[in-house]
Amino acid sequence: MSTKLSNWILWGVVIILLAVFPYLVSFYYLNMFIAFAIFSLYAVTLNILLGYMGVLSFGHAMFFGTGAYAVALVLRHIEGFPLLPTILVGGLAGGLLALVLCPLLVRVSGTAFAMLTLAFSMLIFVAALKFREITGGEDGIGITSIPPLNIPGLVSIDMTDKINFYYFAIIVVAICLYLLWFYTKTPFGSLIVGIRDNALRMDYLGFNLPQTKAINLVVSGTFAGIAGAVHGLLMKLVSTVGVLDIGTSFKPLMMAYIGGVGSFFGPIIGSAILHILEDVVIRFTDRIGLVNGTIFILVVLFAPQGLIGLFNTAKAKWFQKETAS
Amino acid sequence: MSPTAVLYVAQALHGLAYGMLLFLIASGLTLIFGMMGILNIAHASFAMLAAYFCFTALKLTGNFWAALLIAPIFAGIVGVLTERFLLRPVHKHGHLAELLITVGIMTLILEIVKLFWGTESLVVKIPESLNGLLHIAGLTYPVYRIFVIGLSIVILGFMALILFKTRLGKIVQAAVSDADMVSALGINTPLVFMLVFGIGIWLAGVAGAVAGPLLTVFPGMADQLGMDAFVVVVVGGFGSLIGAFIVALFLGELNAYGIQFIPRLAPVLMFAFMALVLAFKPTGLFGERE
Repeated sequence: MSTKLSNWILWGVVIILLAVFPYLVSFYYLNMFIAFAIFSLYAVTLNILLGYMGVLSFGHAMFFGTGAYAVALVLRHIEGFPLLPTILVGGLAGGLLALVLCPLLVRVSGTAFAMLTLAFSMLIFVAALKFREITGGEDGIGITSIPPLNIPGLVSIDMTDKINFYYFAIIVVAICLYLLWFYTKTPFGSLIVGIRDNALRMDYLGFNLPQTKAINLVVSGTFAGIAGAVHGLLMKLVSTVGVLDIGTSFKPLMMAYIGGVGSFFGPIIGSAILHILEDVVIRFTDRIGLVNGTIFILVVLFAPQGLIGLFNTAKAKWFQKETAS
Repeated sequence: MSPTAVLYVAQALHGLAYGMLLFLIASGLTLIFGMMGILNIAHASFAMLAAYFCFTALKLTGNFWAALLIAPIFAGIVGVLTERFLLRPVHKHGHLAELLITVGIMTLILEIVKLFWGTESLVVKIPESLNGLLHIAGLTYPVYRIFVIGLSIVILGFMALILFKTRLGKIVQAAVSDADMVSALGINTPLVFMLVFGIGIWLAGVAGAVAGPLLTVFPGMADQLGMDAFVVVVVGGFGSLIGAFIVALFLGELNAYGIQFIPRLAPVLMFAFMALVLAFKPTGLFGERE
């Protein structure tokens, strides 16, 4: 009872903090926070594959980037396209890409999966770079105006206002994160963890492995597409370097790994750490990649379960000592 | 020869030079994957590192040949240290961790290169003796590219000799097909791994150092070489040297002619081809296992 109450209080405090946040900080930090939220969602979708299903998506940027490009294209070519369907288009594009690729991807695991995803993301990257009539090549596509959030008969909220956009982005990300969290708690989510731990056994138990993996891939791709869509709206520019390149694929990987791939909230913590770190490091040096890379290597070397894993081990040790003494 | 024929032959030679460089990089990559099961994402980064070493060595010694000799060796030493202190400790965490650590190494090398040498393109001057043009039967061709082709052939011949005619070569071949069994036979496989990793990096280093004057030395070099080498290894089949050789040459030619005739489609075609091969034969054209 009391833990339930404290949970409610905790969530209440978080929501109030999120609500007053834009009035406390400058636009710079507001933008940073939105980017943090987007990359949290993006890293969580990667972790749905890496932590839950045990396969490494090495080219996750293809889902992210496809979502972003879909949004940019829709906004450019269709006059007056409303906001919410725009986000859904992004998700649909990412999901569709995952659906197209899944007949190939479900057949492999381990290093082969990583390579296959890397190969396809390279293919899409190069294609986006070369077909410049559609994608704008290296220049990308600018998003000149974000449509207002229009609920017919009720309200029309102007999204060019930074604070309004903040609320919108945070709510979209929060809903997506909640859905994904719920998804991992369903029996279907447990099935996916089962496949990670012992695929053969799940097969013998009569579950349809390729289908299950395919659904998980599509879920991951869809939400990565949504993350890409919001990212495109935030940056107001979608270009190959920034949403489709290999760096964009590695970023959520670092976040997930530093935070901890074993848990749902690990990638979110990783995303927070990397964003805060970037903000701090940039005051002293431009070599943010050097710091990130070093931390990443140290984590892979010494803390394969990430910070959450370290925290859990420390907690276990602490309590062991207490009970022993 | 007619001007058109000359053009074709020149392009073919361009392709051959680039293909040989690719194979120098890809051969190490494919051997390392075959033996250790590691897809070394950072492989081309070491090639880039060697190119920068070559630039600095040239500046210090003033002798291109000395630089060409020293740079790959230093890259190889860095490679051996990397294997010993970064890759070996994570071996017990499985292949994913090994893959991830190479990603970290790639990032680090890129940043270190930017830190010490900056982001501009550096020009490596080739000595007078290689700088001329060669005239054969109406064809005018830069000597340096001929030198690149010749050097690659010599090194590869030498490597083939070691791989197929010596005891170490036999051990490496055996370890590619079953590393555990080789270890069980009482051979110090970690040492062999370290050696092969070092030699693989050295080969990539030679390619990088030699490619410096052709491509100029810049931080994006690793991406360019790495992407192509990755395609070569994937399409050729992991652990298959023959496959890598054929695909590297094919890719070099595709690159050379593609730039001339279908500049936009060539890279797309390359990756589409890789995707197709992966879709229907996940082991690659000449590979036997994943």
